[in-house]
Order: sequence, then structure tokens, then C-alpha cells
Amino acid sequence: MTASPSFYAASSLPAALDALAECGAEGAPLAGGTWIMRAPIRHEPLKPIYVGLGGVPELTRIEETDGALAIGAGVTHSALGEAIAGRPELRVLAEAAGRSANPAIRRAATLGGNLCTADFAAADLVPALLCLDAEVEIAARGGTERLPLAAFLDLRQSLEPGRLLTRVLVPRSAAFSAHARLPLRKAGDYPTAIVSLSITRDAAGRIAQARIAVGSVETVARRWTRLEAALAGAPLDAEAAHHMATELADEFVGRDGVEAPGWYRVSVLPVLVRRAVIALH
Amino acid sequence: MPIDMIVNGEAKQSAADPMTPLVDVLRDEFHLTGAKPVCREGFCGACTVLVDGEPRAACLTPAGLAQGREIGTVEGLSAGGRLNPVQASLVEHDAVQCGMCFPGMVVTLTHFLAQTPRPSRDQVRAALTGNACRCTGYERIVAAALDVAGA
Amino acid sequence: MSITTPVDAVMEFRRRDAGDKLTGRTRYTIDRGAPGMLHAAVLRAEVASGRLVKLDTSKAAALPGVRAIATAADAPGRVGIGIADHALFAQDRVRYVGEPLAAVAADTLEQAQAALEAIEVEIAPLPAVLTMQDALAPNAPLIHPEWQDYEVLLEGGARAGNVAWEATAVRGDVDAAFARPDVRIVESTFRVGRQNHMAFEPRAAVARYEEGRFHIETSTQVPWTVRNATAGFLGVPASQVRVTVPPVGGAFGLKFDIAIEPFAALLAKLSGRSVRLVNSREEEMLTCLFRENAEIRIRSAVTPEGEIAGREAVVLMDCGAYGGEQIFLTTMTAHTLGGNYRVGASRLVSRAIYTNTAPNGAFRACNGVYNTFALERHTDEIAAALGMDPLEFRRRNVLGDGDLGATGQKFEAEVLRPMLERMEALRAAAPPRRPDDGRLYGRATTVGTWFVFTGPSAATVNMNADASATLVTSGVEIGSGSMMQGLPQIVAATLGIRPEDVVVRQADTDAAGYDVGVGGGRQTVSLGAASLQAAQEVRGKLLAVAARMLDASPGDLVMQDGRIEIAGPNGAGFSIAEVAARAQALNGPVAGTGASARKGVPSLPGCAVGHFIDALDIPVFAVHDCEVAVDPETGHVEVLAYRVVQDVGRALNRSAIGGQIQGGVVQGLGYALHEEVSIDADGRIRQNGFETYRVPLASDVVPVEVELYEGAPSLGPFGIKGAGEVPILNVGASVACAVANATGARVQELPLTPPRVLALLLGRQPELAFPHILPAWDDNLLRPHGAQP
Repeated sequence: MTASPSFYAASSLPAALDALAECGAEGAPLAGGTWIMRAPIRHEPLKPIYVGLGGVPELTRIEETDGALAIGAGVTHSALGEAIAGRPELRVLAEAAGRSANPAIRRAATLGGNLCTADFAAADLVPALLCLDAEVEIAARGGTERLPLAAFLDLRQSLEPGRLLTRVLVPRSAAFSAHARLPLRKAGDYPTAIVSLSITRDAAGRIAQARIAVGSVETVARRWTRLEAALAGAPLDAEAAHHMATELADEFVGRDGVEAPGWYRVSVLPVLVRRAVIALH
Repeated sequence: MPIDMIVNGEAKQSAADPMTPLVDVLRDEFHLTGAKPVCREGFCGACTVLVDGEPRAACLTPAGLAQGREIGTVEGLSAGGRLNPVQASLVEHDAVQCGMCFPGMVVTLTHFLAQTPRPSRDQVRAALTGNACRCTGYERIVAAALDVAGA
Repeated sequence: MSITTPVDAVMEFRRRDAGDKLTGRTRYTIDRGAPGMLHAAVLRAEVASGRLVKLDTSKAAALPGVRAIATAADAPGRVGIGIADHALFAQDRVRYVGEPLAAVAADTLEQAQAALEAIEVEIAPLPAVLTMQDALAPNAPLIHPEWQDYEVLLEGGARAGNVAWEATAVRGDVDAAFARPDVRIVESTFRVGRQNHMAFEPRAAVARYEEGRFHIETSTQVPWTVRNATAGFLGVPASQVRVTVPPVGGAFGLKFDIAIEPFAALLAKLSGRSVRLVNSREEEMLTCLFRENAEIRIRSAVTPEGEIAGREAVVLMDCGAYGGEQIFLTTMTAHTLGGNYRVGASRLVSRAIYTNTAPNGAFRACNGVYNTFALERHTDEIAAALGMDPLEFRRRNVLGDGDLGATGQKFEAEVLRPMLERMEALRAAAPPRRPDDGRLYGRATTVGTWFVFTGPSAATVNMNADASATLVTSGVEIGSGSMMQGLPQIVAATLGIRPEDVVVRQADTDAAGYDVGVGGGRQTVSLGAASLQAAQEVRGKLLAVAARMLDASPGDLVMQDGRIEIAGPNGAGFSIAEVAARAQALNGPVAGTGASARKGVPSLPGCAVGHFIDALDIPVFAVHDCEVAVDPETGHVEVLAYRVVQDVGRALNRSAIGGQIQGGVVQGLGYALHEEVSIDADGRIRQNGFETYRVPLASDVVPVEVELYEGAPSLGPFGIKGAGEVPILNVGASVACAVANATGARVQELPLTPPRVLALLLGRQPELAFPHILPAWDDNLLRPHGAQP
């Protein structure tokens, strides 16, 4: 029988980083707790020590900096959704934050938690931020570093103890964006598939650049670069995008889950692409 | 280390381990059994309580995170046994059946209607996304909420 | 006025428990405890099939806080329905993932759980039979090799090997009907999965052992079953078990059987302390007495005019590792497949099949929902084969006055046909809600036949000198409102007092007589009949006393609005309190008792074999209409509108019935569209909670348009029928028929989840094939219908 986990409520970022460094592999950060608190249901052991981040003011800030929007990792889904409402280039993120899970969970679950939970394939914010070319900032006692979100997703499970995702940086752009997710019920589910889309247009109204990310279909969300390439230079046309997506969807190998088989997740990608394009208008 | 919190306006101290779900502290230590631990994964809403005025799933809130916070439970919404307008409207609509989901429903709707005094039907339904009910089929709950709003 | 003249109990009485439930004051079983109470946990098998080689609790017993451990040696008995095949703990053989092996009580739940980890278990795996197809394969491993040794509690059902029970209903010459030159044969096959009740309150019990008796507080629908079965498991006289029932936080049939109560009782006796045992949600999912999965083949011989000359069906019901409720439910096929339509000759077999999966149980309109789905889809396939409008086919063929059911029961009165007409009027009153967004539109109207499960009930009414009455029964309030609305209304109306002044005692097997339990739409009917009788006895006694007080004849008195008066304007009289006080002083406190039992409507001799009920005392009919939109690209089905015309006999409380219909329909929508259960290769239920098992949420439902059909004959008091169970009956059928109508696809399975619907539309879904249902109907039987065992 293991002792109950202990809990340290950090009151500042340096204090949190110190605590995480001292705990080493024994410790883990805890923000909203919505995933960690479900460990018993997954039959997973808790860590011996949790460092609570709720009292770290640096982590809940949202600020405009050098060409980017910097979002603290402790910002909740609901706070994020409210803060960026009405900005077309960030609509994908607002939708992702505002529709995931349910209202009570959105008030607790944080941006950082969503990005750091490697086992959570259906995370909404991940594809949304991928299509926004977001970078993440990782802090440790020794200093901070920045890396692209995609790179972070690759190494998040092997991140050394003591390192903490502190901010997400979303570059400013003149794009339009949309988030298409497909839960099995109207709402309240994890989506079986997600298409996040961010598009810039040229003077003629054609697609200058498309950034598309696919979530929940495979175990980790990723960019759909072949579709991005196919759409570049094309007119902004939902049916054409649907057609191209149909042609290219076979590059995905859907994950089988209790809620949906893998083939289904791939089958619905083209319609989600169409819905995302329509939602741009 | 004991955890201090204000529960329904009263200072309380919990001796629980900080990773104990808040719902268990409320029920087992403070004998506030209104919040129901039904799913323990944040999907059903029966344990919804207010944390600093905002509805949260108490099953997923570690007691440690309640340190220094104000917690409001369904018991605190009907001081002196008087039903609040949401509760009264639910009675009026004959909405209650087994009743297990209603403590969470009442907390969610009371907060929602304070924030959104003139909601549409779809807004009410969306606000209830995290509050499942197995008995009623929801319609009377939605109608009761709309009636409060219309009052 | 005679003392037995029916009085009007129709009211819109609001339920008295709403306030407490809305303020968090109601104390369900999970909210109860006692100082010094222990917490219990159950060790459950992790394999589906195996031989129990070792179970050593010695290390666990030595752990801190552990007060008692119970194992199979403490519970020697076997119980069951029809056959006693179920022991409390796995004895030497494990038959499903989740089967109890031992139970522990400790000072804290954590200590109890730690003790479970410390119990040394060794199970030698045996081949597991996870599907009915595997269970019926030649040379399939037997789940109960000792099946012949079990005590048989009801004679008549055929049994052998993995067939736990087989019931047949044969009427007329089906072979001749199928051989007629003017008929064509339509054959359909269907499969449905399991449905979890997802009662919000899990199964929970608090037990004490005091004065040589067990006292169990539990969340159940059947206090007397818990009493008797606990005694059966533990091998003690049933009189040593007392069961009381606090408000129940949802049941829907889940709690219509013994559950975890005996563990708590045993541990209380062993430890000498109060013991609390509450299932985790995962345990609820793992060991829920689900609505069973079923496989169905129906064949009908129909004439070009749409006459159903003959019909035969094979229904396979998965009972899981133990027979349980499914044994009884084999009976229902005769009524749910044989009740909607006038059929020339029919033969139906339903078979409860053992598998190495968690035992199934009862769920609102059990057996009925999937047989109605199958029958109504089959009916649409017949109509399509004949080129006839499905509504017209139903109009011509629904059961009417004097028609015979599958067991030869003669149905009284035209009910379904006028109900169909009402529905057609409702349909005509609102334009179809065709979507204009590319989704496919479909619509269907279906019919269903259900019943009230009558049977023994008892009631006592104590008239208090203050003119309040106390109603003592073994009835349980599970949320339906029967105890809060229907029963106090009946007593109040009979006694001329307000329903608010009827105190309804919570179920206590020490205080009230035997009762079958809450379920089968019986509570307001059977307990209502007993309560009415008890109240009438009180009424008679009070009138007799009042007559003496007023120097009048009891027949000249009226009893209403809290007074007993001589009939007529300005008649002299007394308040009921004055009369009750006088009666108490003269003869002692006034009380009345009542009892009701099954009436036993006749069937034709020889039609039903292996049945627990040969005919329906009180049939109940329902007509549903559903409009859907189907997204051809994602498989999502949206219900656009839903209408119900329900036969209620007579509505005692329209608001209460309306709430039951909305709720029942929505549960049916879950069954039809969202709620899926799958079992993995190891025999474990894959859905472990509310994330993976999706019940309908507020955004998924529509307001149900309801019309209550009154006036159909009923043996119930005041002509009422059970109204809470039937609303779920034809929802799966209606949605399935509407989706088939929208897509043109051959809908053969439920639930219609988006992946399943998309698979249908993409042609990814192979036609169902049941090699284990043999082509010739007779070949599916263990022994010919009517042959001696």
C-alpha cells in the first residue's frame, strides 16, 4: 500500500519550478486536475507528490507580445474561449476551447493540461494550436526554451522532470480559422475526429496558405501537409476541399477505440474538412 | 496539513489528504451529502458545486485546490429551507423523479441563469451538457429553467 | 352511496419528495452511515472462465483495519428464478469477469481495498464462451457442467447444457399456414446489444446484525426478494432478515433482483459492526444486470391482402453466466412478439442462453423493447414485400376485440386501432419536419403491446385520530412517483382526506406484508388495489361509527373534504377527525388491510410451455411515431419529433404520467442511438463509465408530444394501468423503422450509433447471419413443444 500523495501549492513560477526540480521523477505538476483525478478510473497510480499550479499568477496570463499572443499554460478552456472571442484568426482556438467536454470541465481544465496529457488523443486544443503554428515555452530552473508545438508533442513523454510547460505562443496572422469536431452525441463527448483549419487568402480570394491539423483520428494530432499543399493556390471552395480530402484521407490510420472504430474516424475526415471550410465564411 | 475552506459561508477545516476529491470531503467530513458522486469522471455533473462562485465537478477537484476557496453546495442554495427560484420552478414543473441529478442540476442552472438571464432554449440545453439525467428526459428541466428566465 | 363505490382519485398532486431532492436533503442509501461503521469491498474475478484453485485470505486478514472477510464457505446456498443456479461467491468455478470471490470489511474503504489486493487468488483458465453462437455450437464447453443438479423452482421449461431455459408458445397449425399456396414468406433477422440502466445511485447497502437478525438498508426495488434471497444465499431462515429501503436513486429494473446486500449482511454478522457496501461505477458497469443482448429470427406467411396467416420466431436471450431474470423473461416473447397483430397460427420459442459474461437482468419493458424492434422492423419488411403502406398494413392487422394472442389469450376491446387513428390525427396536425440540409428524412409509426406484471401485494391503512392516515406497504419510491402521488391519491380519495395527509411509510419487510416489488408497471396497480381495499375497510369502519353518531344509515353518508355528512344540502355531519377519534375510543384505533394478487386471465390449454405467466392480466398498448434526419456522411441520426399515444386505462395523475413518458422515451432513444455495450476478447465489458457509455444528454432529446388514451378495459383499481414502464417499449422500433425509411437500408441492429449507420450506408455492414438459429423452427427446440421432459 502506497502512502497518499502529498500536495504542494506553489505560489509563484520560480517556486513551482523549484518544487518540480526537487521532486524529480516523484513529482508532477497539477493544474486543473481533470485528467489526473481520473487516474483511479484508469487504474493508474498517482504520483507521490503533486505541485499545484493554481496559485501561480504567471501561468494564467494572456498577453500580446512580440508578434504573438502568449497564453499561460494555466489558462482554463473557458477563460481562453472568452479572452479570444471575436478574433477570426483565432476562431479555431476559441471553438476548441469553448466546445470541448462540458462547461464545468472547461472551467477547470487548462491549456497546459490539454497539451501535456499524452494519452489524450481527442484533445481539442492540440489540433487547433497546430494549425495556428503555435510554439510552446518550456521552463526549468535553468531557464526557458521555445519549441514548435509539433516537436513538443513528440517529446512530451520523455521530458525531464523539473520542466514545465508555461506558455503557448500563437503568432499573429491575418488568417481565418475554423474548428470542426465530431462528437457522437450533440455535445459532451470527446470528438471521434477533429479538423482544425487556418487559411490565408491572396488578393484574388484564393487560398494562399492552408494549415490543417487532424486530431483524435490517430493517437497524436498532426498536420495534414498533403492536403495543405493540395489546397494552396486553390479557390476557397468547400466541395473542392472535400473532394481533395477524400482523395488524401487514406494516409491516416484511424485508432480503434471503445467509442468508434478507426475506419470511421478516417471516413468522416472529408466532411469535417468541408464543414471547416464552410465555417470560415 | 489541514485544508481551510469556506463552505456555504462557514469556515471549515478538512483533515483529508489533499488529493482526495472535494466531493468526498464535503460528504464524508462535512456531512453535506447533497453532491452525489455518480460517475467520478466529470461527465455526469451530479457532484457539481461552486468553487469561488463557479460550478465545478467536485469529483475532479482535489481537496488541496480548495484551500482558501469559497465552496458552495446545493445545501447552501436554499437557506432556511426556502427554495430558490430554480428549485421552485423545478417543483412547479413536476420535474423531479429519482432526484439524484438534481443537486448538480440546481447548482449549474442557478449559476447559469445568473450569468445568462434571458437564455434561448439551445443555450439552456448547452449549459446542461455536463449534467446528465437518467429519469426525466430533460424537457421539464429545460422548461423550468426557461420559466425562471421568463419570470 | 355504497362504501365500495369508486371514488375519484384523479388529481394533479405534486410529489412531496421534490423539495428535499432539490435541496440535497434526501438521504439515499449511499448517503447513509452509522458511527463505527465499516466499509466493505468485493474481490472480483479478472477472468471469464476458470477453475478456482486457490483463495487464501490469511495475509489480507492480518492487515490493519481489516475486521472481517467472507468467502464461499460463508454462503452455501444457491438462488435463482426457475432454477437455483447462482451462489453468492464463485465456488470452485469462475464464470464471468467480475464474479465475486471474497468480500472484506475494514475500518476504511482504502483498507478494505488494500486487503483485496492481499488476497491470494489462483484461477486456472478454462475456455470461455462469450457469445450465444459459441454457447450453442456443437460440443461447446458447458458453463454449468452440473446444470442437471440444480434445484428446479418451476417445472416446465426445457433445459440442457448451455440452454438455461426454453419456453415455447404454439397456437394453430403453422406448417399448414406456411404451406398455403396464396402466401409469401418474409424472413427477418435482428440483433441487439446490452443496455446499462445507469441508475445514478449505484447498488448500495448498509447492513447490521442485531438481536440475531440481519437488518439491511438497501437501494432496491424488491425488498422481499432481497430478504428471501439473502436468506437463501446464507442458508438462514428468511424471517431472520429485515430489509428497509430509503429513497432509491434510480433503478429501471436494475434493482429488481438481489445484488450486493448479502455481502454486507455477512460481513456485519462476522464483524459485529454496521457495514456499508457501495458499488463503484466501474463495478456497476461490470456487473450491471443489463438488458440482455438478443438475437431474433422471425418468419411470416402473409397473403397478398396482408393477412398474416402464420408466424414463427426464434428468440435467443443472453442470460450471461447465471439464469436470473432471463429465465422468467423467456415468457414475455409470447406477448411481445405475439401481441401486436392478429396472426392465424404462430409458434414462438425463446431461449435463455448461458455465456461466460456478466449476468443480465431486468430493464424497463424487458424483452419487450427488442422484440418490438424486431417485430416492427419485420412488419415494415412485410409491408415492403407486399408493396403496401406500412401504416395501412398496421391498420388492417393490429390486434382487436376478440383476437387471440400467441398463448390463446382472448384480447378484449378495440384499443390499438383507435389509438392508431389518434396518432394519424396527431401526424396530420403537424407538417413533416423535412430538413433542407442534405440529410435524409425518415418517419415511422409503430405499435407495441406490453402488460402490467400484477402479483401479490399487501397494504395496511392506519387511520389516525387527527384524520391523517398512514399507508404501510412494502412499496419503494424509485423515482416514478407511485409512492408520492398514485398511492396517497388513492387512499386520500377513498377516505375523503387530502393526499398531503396520507403518510406513506418507507418499505420495511418487518412492517408490511409480502410484495413482488416495484417494476413491471405494477406499483400503482397492485399496491394501489391493496391500498384501495385497505382504505375501503377503514372507510367502512368510519362510516359505521359516523352513522351511529348521526343516527343515519351508512349508505346515506358522504365522506369527502375531511368530513362525513348526511348526503344532501346542509346535511349534518362531523369532521373525519371527530369520527376517527370516536371510533378509536369506542373500538380502538381504526385500521384496514388489503391484499391483491394475479387474477389469472385464461389462455388456451397447451399453448404455453415453460411460461411463468400464460396470459396477460392487464395488457397495455402503445403507438409511437418518430421523425428522424440521418446524416449520410457521418451516420448521425437526429430525432426531429416524437409522438406517443399511450393506453393508460385511466390517468390518475396526468402530470406524473407525462413525466414517465418523456423520461421513458428518452431512455429508449439512448437504447436506439447511443448506448452501446461491447465485450472484449477476454470477456470484459469495455464501457466502464459515463465517458464510454453514452446516455442521452439535454441536447440530444426532443419534447415528446403525448396523448393519453383512456377507456381501454383494465382489471386495475379505477381502471388504471401501469404507465411508467411502457413508454420505452417501442422507441427502438420507431427509430429503427424511421432510419430504415430514411436510408432504405436494412436496419437489423441497435443501437444505431453513427459508426453503425455509416457502415450501413457505405455497405460495410454485412447482413446478419445466425448459423446457430437452425432453418427449421422445430430443430431449435430441446424437445418438441408439449412433449414430456
